[in-house]
Amino acid sequence: MENYRLLLILATLAFLGGLVHAIAVLKSGAWRESRWHLLPMGAGLALLTAFLYFRGHAVGQCPMKSLSDILVFIAWSIAFLYFMVGGAFRLSLLGLFTTPLVAGMQILALTLPDSFPAYAAKGKIIPLVELHAATALISYAAFALTCVTGVMYLLQERLLKRHRIGGLFHQLPPIQDLAKSIRRLAMLGLVLLTASLAMSLALQQSVTNPKVIGAWAVWVLYTIVNFVMWRHLLSPRQLAWLAVVSFAAPFVHLWLVNSK
Amino acid sequence: MSQHLVSLSLNYRTTPVEVRERVAFAESKVAEAAREIRALPGFEETVVLSTCNRVELYATHAHDDGMKGHELMRDYLVRHFSLQPAHAEALVFHEHVSTETARHLFRVVSGLDSMVLGETEIFGQVKQAYKVALDAGTTGRTLNKLFQQAFSVGKRVRNDTAIQRGSTSVGSVAVDLAEKVHDLKECRVMLVGAGEMSRTCAQSLLSRGAKSIIVSNRSYDRAVELAAEMKGSALKFDEWESALHDVDVIISSTSAPHFIIKPDLIHQVMRKRRWEPLLVIDIAVPRDVDPAVNEIEGVYLYDIDALQAIADDSRRERERQLAICEQIIEEQLSKFGFPKLPSAQQLLGKVQIGPDREAVSHM
Repeated sequence: MENYRLLLILATLAFLGGLVHAIAVLKSGAWRESRWHLLPMGAGLALLTAFLYFRGHAVGQCPMKSLSDILVFIAWSIAFLYFMVGGAFRLSLLGLFTTPLVAGMQILALTLPDSFPAYAAKGKIIPLVELHAATALISYAAFALTCVTGVMYLLQERLLKRHRIGGLFHQLPPIQDLAKSIRRLAMLGLVLLTASLAMSLALQQSVTNPKVIGAWAVWVLYTIVNFVMWRHLLSPRQLAWLAVVSFAAPFVHLWLVNSK
Repeated sequence: MSQHLVSLSLNYRTTPVEVRERVAFAESKVAEAAREIRALPGFEETVVLSTCNRVELYATHAHDDGMKGHELMRDYLVRHFSLQPAHAEALVFHEHVSTETARHLFRVVSGLDSMVLGETEIFGQVKQAYKVALDAGTTGRTLNKLFQQAFSVGKRVRNDTAIQRGSTSVGSVAVDLAEKVHDLKECRVMLVGAGEMSRTCAQSLLSRGAKSIIVSNRSYDRAVELAAEMKGSALKFDEWESALHDVDVIISSTSAPHFIIKPDLIHQVMRKRRWEPLLVIDIAVPRDVDPAVNEIEGVYLYDIDALQAIADDSRRERERQLAICEQIIEEQLSKFGFPKLPSAQQLLGKVQIGPDREAVSHM
């Protein structure tokens, strides 16, 4: 087995371990905000970073061409953004809701047929091309976190409406904070995607390229989402649903473009 | 002669407040009391814990079974507070020796012996009592070790169980809810009606950092009075509806015989608020708020029954956690080398002969 594949399996186990631990502690009713919860997430991120390093060396370029590589890169971006979002969220249940997504993407990457193929030799590396691809994928990770936060909002909203004031309720952040996070993450994703597409224009990529068309479609969708959020045209609950459902677009885009 | 760990406890369970208050030590007198007890025959170390719910004396005493120590401590209290025979007779103590002393202290520190099961204030109070004794030089190797062990057990119980989870009073449930809807520091509260219960809820919110309070009441004078008490502002009763969109929590407790907050009104309010979430707490009976208000997006309505049910659930949950806490305490007693004994509940009310004992005694 290649070294990088082993690293990815270990990273997946770290995330799953964190998830299982969190669920067990939650079920026992003894969940507390603690920096210890960061440990599996931190270990997973470190292992994923090592994976990207070794995989990059193995293919001689940024590993972002095959679907399996893209899934892992997005998983890495989600874990990375998770540490950027803010202490209040990291130490609360955001991690618990993030780990299944990250672990699921990695499991999918590992089990895809012909995962992690060798790349065709690449000529001269153009930094702007690599930056364009990386920025686009990090923006998709931001949309993934927007989706996760949307799920948390809907859950907390349901608990509040139905007067189910139990263990999970106490661990979720205030819904007003969740609504703010949805708006900020959607905006962050849009800014990153805009930057990525601006780079693609600078690179004079063909507008008929399916990847570029898909990326523009995602950009249009999230521009509308951000506009709706900015103008308060929908209630926070409807916005949370929008954040969850909209994530299907970048996900489907990546799937269609890379599964060929 | 060997030293025995002994403790004498008088608390809300054994003694009514009108008697308890007669033997409560003023904060400034605790160190002096600890020194005085240590000066009694056979005593080497003492810690005095005096709170509104309990007066407890912990000590090491050189005697065969510790009974003499209890007697001396009881006499000291009667003498120190110059109690009349009638008051002295009304005192009911729990007496502990050796392992039972440790178990009792571990339960106290963990909040298992408190009036509100699992409350955390007692941990700080015991810490303070120990510090005072330490500074007064009335502790030694045995009590230092015992209290350090107690603090470690208290932390373990707090961290490893859900004994402190949830709120057990209507006021604190209201605060919990408000915290899960808004950042309390930015939270503006309106009281519609100035009843005692709404006052309690508002005070709980203020004590946890709510930004501002507006009080509206049929009697404007009463609204002004309450607003002044809570450093808020008063509003005439015919103006409260127009100010609703500007607040994040509404606590309603008028004596109106019909609903005064209806869906139409809240729909308008929510549009003005751009759907920012709104918590509505209806503690009036009959209710002030139409239940259909809870169906509106972003509005979370809780009436008095809902609040009470949440408080009851928390209380039951804490009671379920009690067995886990007791198990932790037994494990820790064993780990610290105390001989294994039946639990405190099994012994409560019984007098055991022997070196380890808990007994209930009257003067």
